[in-house]
Amino acid sequence: MIMAETKAKNEEKESGLDVLARSPLYVGLAIGILAALVQVLLISAGGPEAYGFCVACHTRDVVNVAVNDIAGTKLAVAAISQNAILPVMTVIGVLIGAFVSAKYYQEFRTKTGTITSYVWYLMGGLFFMIFALFMGGCPYRIGLRIGYGDVVALIGVIAIIAGVLMGIKMATAMAEREG
Amino acid sequence: MAAAGWLSKDVAIIAVPIVTLLLGLLIGWLGQRSGFCSIGGFRDFFMFRHTRLLYGYLALIVGGFIGYMVFSLITPAAFEGFFWLLKKGLMPVPGAPANLTVTAYIILAVIGGIAVGLIGVLLGGCPLRQVVMTAEGNLRSLCFVIGMCIGAVIFAAWVSGWGVTLLKAAGIA
Repeated sequence: MIMAETKAKNEEKESGLDVLARSPLYVGLAIGILAALVQVLLISAGGPEAYGFCVACHTRDVVNVAVNDIAGTKLAVAAISQNAILPVMTVIGVLIGAFVSAKYYQEFRTKTGTITSYVWYLMGGLFFMIFALFMGGCPYRIGLRIGYGDVVALIGVIAIIAGVLMGIKMATAMAEREG
Repeated sequence: MAAAGWLSKDVAIIAVPIVTLLLGLLIGWLGQRSGFCSIGGFRDFFMFRHTRLLYGYLALIVGGFIGYMVFSLITPAAFEGFFWLLKKGLMPVPGAPANLTVTAYIILAVIGGIAVGLIGVLLGGCPLRQVVMTAEGNLRSLCFVIGMCIGAVIFAAWVSGWGVTLLKAAGIA
């Protein structure tokens, strides 16, 4: 009985918009077009161009503006975040949006790891950010920059693919060693 | 000439946090529902020939191009650099450490790209996926996001300066 109810509830939630939201194809298209819309709305506040959505750079802007305000430092941030009353809040939006969505669809689960894994993830995030900023953006801004006509971004994606292939090799080798 | 969009500068500087927060809320919801992940897309394709996530990333590039093209036809002043290759040539869109040569930018893109792909695969996701998984209650992803925040400060305070000095010393910047 309860199972049937849950199933009915799930089917109800699977209808309409949610079908689109669950398809990466439509989500990708939407992110690309929305990024362009954000640029046409906000570019007067300052550049750079093709900056509508980027997890690495937008995180950098929020963190560095906060650090600059608190510690009086002059860490580099994008012009748009420097000029505006508050920096770009995209990543905070993503956190809240994904949290509400996960709660609503009952997919919120606290997942813990070992202390060692926490340290690995912390270091991973740290170096990920540094190398993403070398490249001038996370894979998303790189994608937007390709759409904008940036050849260096295209080279960046080819490098990402090379890194992914190396990562798969390493992961496979590690898995084999562990049996 | 400063780029001009639909909102005037006075309005835009107030609208920036609001508009980007709304954009983030929407992308967070979509990202949570779809499991959208760029690096995951490449990984799934090379390991299992699954194209679901890969097409999502390709759609982002296409969607961006369509969006930029359509909006630049409506308001050209907001897209001064579009289409970048035709207008500005090989120099990348600004955002990376500034005032380097094309060669230096390419070297940075290659080093950065390989490292980003490698770390992304080994830790199970690109930054958007990590942020979404954090919101879903994954504490390891939370550590990743905290690491990203620390990395941002380290990069701006030290690494970018060192990198530029090193590239200049090597004669390629």
